[in-house]
Amino acid sequence: MPRLDRLPQISRNNLLTFPAQVNDTAPFVRPGKPLAGCRLAIVTTAGLHVRGDRPFTPGDQTYRVISSDTPTADIVQSHTSIGFDRVAIMRDINISFPIDRLRELVTRGELGGLASNCYSFMGAQREAARIESATGPEVGRRLAAEGVDVALITPT
Amino acid sequence: MLARALELTGISTTSISLVREHTEKVKPPRALYVPFPFGHALGRPDDPELQHRVLRAALGLLSEAAGPVLRDLPEDAEPGDQPPAPPQASGIKPAEQVPDDVAMETTQMRRYHERWLEKSSGRTLLGLTGIPATRFRGVVRFLEGFADGQDVDMAERPPEVPLPNFVRYCADDLKALYFEGHLAMKPAAGGEEIARWFWGETGAGRLLRRIRDRLDTSDDPRWKAAAFGIAR
Repeated sequence: MPRLDRLPQISRNNLLTFPAQVNDTAPFVRPGKPLAGCRLAIVTTAGLHVRGDRPFTPGDQTYRVISSDTPTADIVQSHTSIGFDRVAIMRDINISFPIDRLRELVTRGELGGLASNCYSFMGAQREAARIESATGPEVGRRLAAEGVDVALITPT
Repeated sequence: MLARALELTGISTTSISLVREHTEKVKPPRALYVPFPFGHALGRPDDPELQHRVLRAALGLLSEAAGPVLRDLPEDAEPGDQPPAPPQASGIKPAEQVPDDVAMETTQMRRYHERWLEKSSGRTLLGLTGIPATRFRGVVRFLEGFADGQDVDMAERPPEVPLPNFVRYCADDLKALYFEGHLAMKPAAGGEEIARWFWGETGAGRLLRRIRDRLDTSDDPRWKAAAFGIAR
């Protein structure tokens, strides 16, 4: 992020008062193989979804499935907080959902492959208990069932 | 927090972080802090080389033996002249002369937006309401009635979508039409320039300020939340 002192006051206050969870340790699972053999899924918190799918609402803790072969022209964003510049994603979806870049890494042999599905959550969550206890683990189980080794988590 | 939940189900995760202060507290298993503005997680639009550098750094964390791991992207690449966050409507003074006929203005913007669609191979953020751009005059009339305090609705609003949420989606689709239309006219325009134009010089910008005012005077927190997301 931009330095806090360069942000508009409203954004700075939002960040300073954000009730971030405090943890001392983290769960840690080492991938069982090198990246060149791993299947990867993007899990984004940019509020993206397929056009026509149910838009997110503010504070929405559900998720949407985006099939990895969805044409990028069919992906829209209902996370439309005015705290970020949407022009970047209008120009290039890879700014939050780097699907083309990852395909290039697969072609070059640096990454094993893309998962059949990517997943999307809403951003700017001040309260995420349901994601932590229900929808997050549900996506984890779906990824495991789909043979995914690695998830890349991208924000807005 | 999402990363931790996924890791607990056995998936190895690596995250891109835009707010180092929060990431230090939450401690996802692996995170790469990047010094980019909100909306620019991978660095810069249409810059595959920078995006690859960010991706390689984030994926490289997967070979770490233990965690949590928080690393900084080894460079200070604030993209160009983009501000860390776009200016807010409240900080932009509207011009003295702003078009009165928003429906007409929207019809003109639609022509530019068609050029945008040709250039972008059909990619557009427009589509939250499901109403095609060809019928945006109706959206504008609905929004004008709403801003005037009338008891209006649209047949296209799905029954499960509350009215203030639908108003917000209409506002977001209208913004997408204008912002992308402007990009078709001025491909090099940045977010700040476009925000200043939209809130300062367009009839649609003025209409959305009025929508925000009506939503904001409500006692219903859902209406206030929608107001907050349209303009500040």
